[in-house]
Amino acid sequence: MVTTRRTASNTNARRDPLVSALRRALGADQVKDDVAARLVYSRDASHLQLGRPACVVIARHASAVARTVALCRQHGRPFVVRGGGTGLAGGALPPDDAVVLALGRLDSLGEVDDVRRRVQVGAGVVNDAVSAWATRYGLRFAPDPSSQAAATIGGNVAVNAGGPHCLKDGVTSRHVRCLEWVDTWGRRWSTGHCSALTRGLDLRGLLVGSEGTLGVVTSAVVDLQPVPRSSLVLLAEFPRLADATRAVVKLMGSGVVPQACEIVDRVMLGAVEEAFQQGFATDVDAVMICELAGIPEAVGEDARVAEAVLMQSGVRRVQRAIEPEEQARLWNCRKQAFGAVGRLAPACVSMDVVVPLARLTDLVEGIQTITDEHGVKVATAFHAGDGNLHPGVQFDDRDPDQTVRANRAADAIIERAQTLGGSCTGEHGVGLEKRHLVHRQLDPVALDLMRGIKDLMDPENLCNPDKALPARELVGRGHKPVPEGIEFDWDSLTVTAPASTPLAELQAAALERGLWVPVGVAAGDGHGPGLAGEMTVGQLLSTGTAGPSLLGELRVRDSVLEIWARTGRGDVLHAGAPVLKNVAGYDLVRLLVGSGDLLARPLAASFALQPAPAAVSMWVWPSTPVALSVEGRQDIMQVLRLHHAPAMVARERSQDSPSLWVAASGRDSAWDLGAMAGLLETWSEDHGMPRPVEVRLPRAALADGRLTALLPAWCRTSPSWTLLTPAEGRPEWPRPPRLVWHTRPTVLWTPDELRDDPVGWRSDPVIRDNVPQPPPSPPPESPAWLLAGLRRLFDPSSTLPCPSWLEQILGEASP
Amino acid sequence: MTPPLDARRLDTLLRSCVSCGLCLPTCATYLATGDETCSPRGRLLLLGEVMADRLAPDAPGVEQAFETCLGCMACSATCPSGVSFDLLETLNSMGRRPTVGTQLLDRPGVLRALHQSGGAARSVLRRTLGDGWRQRLASAPRPLARLSRLLGIMPDSPEADHALLDLLDRLTGLRTVDVTLPSPPAATGPRVAWFTGCADAALLPGTQRRLGEFLVGQGCTLQTVPDEACCGALAAHTGRPDRAADLRRKNLEAFGPLLQQTDHLVVAASGCGHELSRHDDDLARRTLDAVVLMDRLAPSDLGAVPLRVAVHDPCHARHGQGIVDEPRRLLRRIPSLRILEPAEPHVCCGGAGVYGVDHPDLAAAMGRRKAQHLIDTGCRLVVTTNPGCLGHLADALAMLGADIPILPLSDVVWYAWLRGLNERTTP
Repeated sequence: MVTTRRTASNTNARRDPLVSALRRALGADQVKDDVAARLVYSRDASHLQLGRPACVVIARHASAVARTVALCRQHGRPFVVRGGGTGLAGGALPPDDAVVLALGRLDSLGEVDDVRRRVQVGAGVVNDAVSAWATRYGLRFAPDPSSQAAATIGGNVAVNAGGPHCLKDGVTSRHVRCLEWVDTWGRRWSTGHCSALTRGLDLRGLLVGSEGTLGVVTSAVVDLQPVPRSSLVLLAEFPRLADATRAVVKLMGSGVVPQACEIVDRVMLGAVEEAFQQGFATDVDAVMICELAGIPEAVGEDARVAEAVLMQSGVRRVQRAIEPEEQARLWNCRKQAFGAVGRLAPACVSMDVVVPLARLTDLVEGIQTITDEHGVKVATAFHAGDGNLHPGVQFDDRDPDQTVRANRAADAIIERAQTLGGSCTGEHGVGLEKRHLVHRQLDPVALDLMRGIKDLMDPENLCNPDKALPARELVGRGHKPVPEGIEFDWDSLTVTAPASTPLAELQAAALERGLWVPVGVAAGDGHGPGLAGEMTVGQLLSTGTAGPSLLGELRVRDSVLEIWARTGRGDVLHAGAPVLKNVAGYDLVRLLVGSGDLLARPLAASFALQPAPAAVSMWVWPSTPVALSVEGRQDIMQVLRLHHAPAMVARERSQDSPSLWVAASGRDSAWDLGAMAGLLETWSEDHGMPRPVEVRLPRAALADGRLTALLPAWCRTSPSWTLLTPAEGRPEWPRPPRLVWHTRPTVLWTPDELRDDPVGWRSDPVIRDNVPQPPPSPPPESPAWLLAGLRRLFDPSSTLPCPSWLEQILGEASP
Repeated sequence: MTPPLDARRLDTLLRSCVSCGLCLPTCATYLATGDETCSPRGRLLLLGEVMADRLAPDAPGVEQAFETCLGCMACSATCPSGVSFDLLETLNSMGRRPTVGTQLLDRPGVLRALHQSGGAARSVLRRTLGDGWRQRLASAPRPLARLSRLLGIMPDSPEADHALLDLLDRLTGLRTVDVTLPSPPAATGPRVAWFTGCADAALLPGTQRRLGEFLVGQGCTLQTVPDEACCGALAAHTGRPDRAADLRRKNLEAFGPLLQQTDHLVVAASGCGHELSRHDDDLARRTLDAVVLMDRLAPSDLGAVPLRVAVHDPCHARHGQGIVDEPRRLLRRIPSLRILEPAEPHVCCGGAGVYGVDHPDLAAAMGRRKAQHLIDTGCRLVVTTNPGCLGHLADALAMLGADIPILPLSDVVWYAWLRGLNERTTP
């Protein structure tokens, strides 16, 4: 750090031994303990206060973080991690005499891997900077919290941050592949390899959203998304707020998935308009900002559908913003809305409640009642498409009466959301602010396990103590019985199903309404697990993947909203909530999905539903050369990557019937499946192959097996499937005799046992003899003590399956 | 003048800060130190505590937090709750105890003397200590280190026209003849009173002369006044409001009659422009930045300049006066010129008047960060409109070993204008 004129260098009068030790270890320039620093770092963007830290460590390297943590532990003193200090729930507030670990200078940006679309970034990198860095590759980092200009990746990971554009792309957890972190002993770890489909104990998933209470994340490998080729923003004015929320439910059910769908209420509009003079109507109750993005033609079609839906929903006027500058201005206003409310009152309780979409109108009406009852002013901005609301109760903190009323009103709003089946926090975290309320929605068994995890990973309660989880004396009150049958909530776009439900049955019922759980298509003809036909929901949760499917494959863990499971102790836990964003307590859902029943056996789960593709095409080349040239393989990969949805290739390389099959979904329009057909024909000509035969079918065919019948028998009935994922480096397409290839994520399935793993690929036997297999052993860099500890916590008497690698770890880690 | 901030008004302004933290990444001192104490939010928090008598202004760390503020206004420009520049001013006046050296710097005579002797001093230092003379002197005793810093960041642009032509011809590969300027067209353009500014007049006399030629060539009538005083920016920034007010009064008297007969009071240095325009009087109402005027004149006779040029916005133009589009629009009028935008365009370069003298290490760190962003654009030339930025960035670019000159924007426009004349005279 650069020095300036010093008035008084060292200042902590009582010569704190920890501060002296930190100075010796890190050098004086990384440690600040003057009055000013201790005061400034005792506050963040929330309206809360806790204590005065002993000093601030402005770490410049992960090793400084590790040394600081180790010294804190040695001295038995708490430490709190801080990124941009933009948290709204007080998660980064230090207790008295704690050490604040400021990570703003861990701001290294790695090289962008544009083939795999990912980049490694330091925890202190500002969210905005990641997208700015990746923009020259046409990529961006999807989570975009309103504070993105200042919030850091470490903070985003801590609270599993969202933002307007997470509606289509998902929250931080979905975009984080791998974390480097420091445990509370000061040892450095990585959550392991960055494969496309992670199976096993998902420590990454556990750390994301843990609010810096389980360790210190120092860097992350994050996924990047292509910047949409075109976008269009609809600006709709609603005279009545309830009409706007009902319109959102209709819009989300119409098959259109907006990139973002926001509502700003009248009070908030007034503040934003005063701040930015954008010409927003201030004589209406609500303005909706709905962004549609993707291929230009798709955006045009979606806009027409969306406008039609809005026109039937009590809208006064709908405008289109097409120019990028105009859209940027609108988003800027929306994102700075929180700051603009500073014009309304000196202080504000900013909440982030979330409810199932169908309950959105109920919550809005509830908030109105609460506002009237408590005599407070509330300004609300909504991530409406997610059911996530930011009501901000305005008050003057110099007035004790107003302060009390504001806090009571805020609590009432949170309780209302919880009563409606929602969560007290969708993206800000529990922090300090909601510790007294979060237990109302947490299941007692799950809460006990969360406390067990905290005790396991931070036995001396030094790492951001007394945050995120409720105080010890509070018992979880959010019991929810295990569901006994499939239950669809069409308005909320969720489905709950017991573990015994065949996945095919669930998907078929959803497909009747044009929806699906995006984990791969199950063909209803029961052609073996290879195509997810005979897999149950329980097996899906346990393996974390549906096996090779017709239309590419998405991660199961990204679709699961809540889970019921029986632990090795015999008790039933329920974790999560049927909402699209949730940061209440630790993320047991991600920890359990794909864990191979090592911690608990799934009993049921809720999934998010998404619009299924409108049509599917299958291209079949009856005869192709035995060996496709390298260029041929690269070119077809390129063609398929250009398509806007995941696609599948099946390839057989035998002397008798060398053949190729390609399946892709889309909207059956000239610009999508039509364009794909053209590209595939050109590809065939370029590489001297016959033209493919195309069969195009409506989405109903996904459920009735018509499409499956076009595939070769080995594809449908193989009793064993191995998943191949590219390891580091840029591997060649391996050439087993038979394979199924998915474009997104890029993975290969082979129906035969692989004798030798191809170089550059990782193999994971997923299905053997028609039985889903437990996940492979974790990467060697995983902390064995943690895996063993989690196992003992969930299954102390080892009644659940115990693969050999776990037995070994348990043996080594036993006292 | 800015009304003095009474405690009540200050309290109201402080309360409009919602601590959202959006100002942090715009603050050059925060970016350089990673320390929130040296960030706008941190400073406002401390200011509030001082105002409420909960914190002594001389408590450890407080003074440093206040005095490291650059006054660049990036935070005010970003703040969604509209926290005002007045607060920064207050902050500045609390933190800055002007040194004798900085007090002297807002006197034209001192600047002229520095300019005349500075060049010689620099060449002597370069000869005796080598190219790394600044780094060597950085660890010298404080007065010497500061003097060397001051010499290092003294703005410099070729005074003679042929020197500028040589420099730009070398970059573009063109050969420009210093043609005799055509007799100016009948004065059809705006009538302009010219505020020459002490630093501009004393340190960049060539640039100022060329700007005058260009404006006259575009049909403007220019008038200066003999008894123009310093605009008062330095005094205001270093906690001497009385001197600032005094200087303003002098300028009001000096320009008073002329203002009634002219359309604009044109200022080339954006630091002066901001200071002149931010009050509520005749001076402020007539003040117009030279770049804005040049853009409005919409010159159509500029010749091609095939050059990749990065634009650096001075804070007092970008944040203080909202001048962002005008310089770019003006440069786009020059055929073949490619405009490049550096990363973090909103962050201060660390020049900030005499900041580099008061905080040499911090300013140098900021300068290097900015210079690296400029280098990363792949430009051959940097242009800006403030003498402070000009000198500071030239120094930073030199310290990074980059062979990228930095010039006042108006010099490049003048060159393009001359290119236009060349193109028409030599077929």
